[in-house]
Amino acid sequence: MNRSLGQFYPVASVLHALDPRAKIVATALLVFGLFLVDSAAGLVLVVAAVVALVAASRVPPITFLRSLRPVAFIVALTALFQVLFSREGETLFAWGILEIHEGGLRLGLFLGLRILLLVSAAALLTATTAPLALSDGLEDLLSPLKKIRFPAHEVAMMMTIALRFIPTLHEETQKITKAQAARGADFSEGGPLSRVRATIPILIPLTVGAFRRADDLAEAMESRGYQGGEGRTRYRELRFRPRDAIALAVTALVLAGAALL
Amino acid sequence: MRLELRDIRHVYSPRTPFEVEALRRVSLAVEPGEVLGILGGTGSGKSTLVQHMNLLLEPTSGDVLVDGANAATLKKSELRRRVGLVFQFPEAALFAPTVAEDVAFAPRRLGLDEGEIEDRVRQSLSLVGAEHLKTRSPFALSGGEQRRVAIAGVLAMGPEVLVLDEPTSALDPEARGDLLRLIRTLRQTGTSIVLVSHDTNEVVEVADRICVLDKGEIRAIGLPSEVFYMIPEFAPATVQTVSALSDIGYDAGSPVRFEETLRALKRLVEG
Repeated sequence: MNRSLGQFYPVASVLHALDPRAKIVATALLVFGLFLVDSAAGLVLVVAAVVALVAASRVPPITFLRSLRPVAFIVALTALFQVLFSREGETLFAWGILEIHEGGLRLGLFLGLRILLLVSAAALLTATTAPLALSDGLEDLLSPLKKIRFPAHEVAMMMTIALRFIPTLHEETQKITKAQAARGADFSEGGPLSRVRATIPILIPLTVGAFRRADDLAEAMESRGYQGGEGRTRYRELRFRPRDAIALAVTALVLAGAALL
Repeated sequence: MRLELRDIRHVYSPRTPFEVEALRRVSLAVEPGEVLGILGGTGSGKSTLVQHMNLLLEPTSGDVLVDGANAATLKKSELRRRVGLVFQFPEAALFAPTVAEDVAFAPRRLGLDEGEIEDRVRQSLSLVGAEHLKTRSPFALSGGEQRRVAIAGVLAMGPEVLVLDEPTSALDPEARGDLLRLIRTLRQTGTSIVLVSHDTNEVVEVADRICVLDKGEIRAIGLPSEVFYMIPEFAPATVQTVSALSDIGYDAGSPVRFEETLRALKRLVEG
């Protein structure tokens, strides 16, 4: 099984034990806070904080880094563009039309690091929070919007279901791929167009299967009396404890410190 | 053709915490023209084993031999044509707008001309008794009809060995009977068949030989009359009845199929 970006890693740690609402808010704070941090010292502080959090999460560092791999390309590309096309500050290197400036280098590094920190924070949130807890937390945080008729419960439920079915669909894809390969389908030969065409015998059954599953699930939920969020209680009540408040306060303080540095 | 698996070992996710040894040194042969029944509980490695027969899964170690030649040296498309594999719930892979087009998928991939493709589609649909469904959408059929069409989609390649993984699961008794009849018909035309199942009562009616798989190892392989009397937990109702009778002193021999057992019991009753 492949651990990928956004997958829950079930171990017991301080971060796993925190209230999902606290973690969601802290992640949001970090995402916005990062835009206010514009000094090297500030960034180093945030990096140190995120590294400490990964250590505290008890997710093996290798596993965590591997889960970031899908975004590595985007981070590298963004940073490279900044380095190559920004003409600020002293020229460090020039070769033909290629010029690398001190300001560009700085900007590239900063931007790359910012994106990496952003994704790390989000990955940390989903690695330490079970999907169900995550959507419960989100529902609670969105519930004030119910006053303006925002379907907070429904949105959270859709998110839970979507997350729940990622592994199922992945498994289904592999099964169908094998079944078509047994009938002589080849997904690696020919040009790009014929490769796209080769995926049709997989995509159609996959879509049909997904609709059938959705129908089955809707029926199963209705037969168990599900009718939306109104008056619905939870098996696991979320409780905001002092330690959650402390975690939030520490996050805010570190970010404020990093922004001022 | 003779399909042989020699010392097959398969490890899923090697060198990770999720490592599982699904098959440990399994050797068996599918003799030309026979029906080989493979029995085993959940997690015994049945489905992993059959995926080695056309190399959809590569063994961690060991060889697959086709008429004595290493299957890894054959062209993949050639191997998959000769060894037709029907997965469990094969109807989940139906995709074309009409039944005929879906069944034509494999022969078209083989590069046959249109006339030949049409012949193959007609032949394989009539084998499974679904010729009348030709112009229908596969998604508008009943479960049993979908199953038959999906099997026709593999038969259309003209396989020399047909591997069926749990072909009767979730079928009604009538559709089950149809499927067992299809297996007998194919056997008469010389196709070897590997029938994977955990329903011992249905395997016993068609199998020439039985292989019992347990935790990735072969527990027994041989004639049904040997294997079923040796391993009581996989014995069909017929064998259970005869064994129970022999425990209280009535010897009815070692019949396995329903008809045989009936005759043996009749002889016993008539003295």
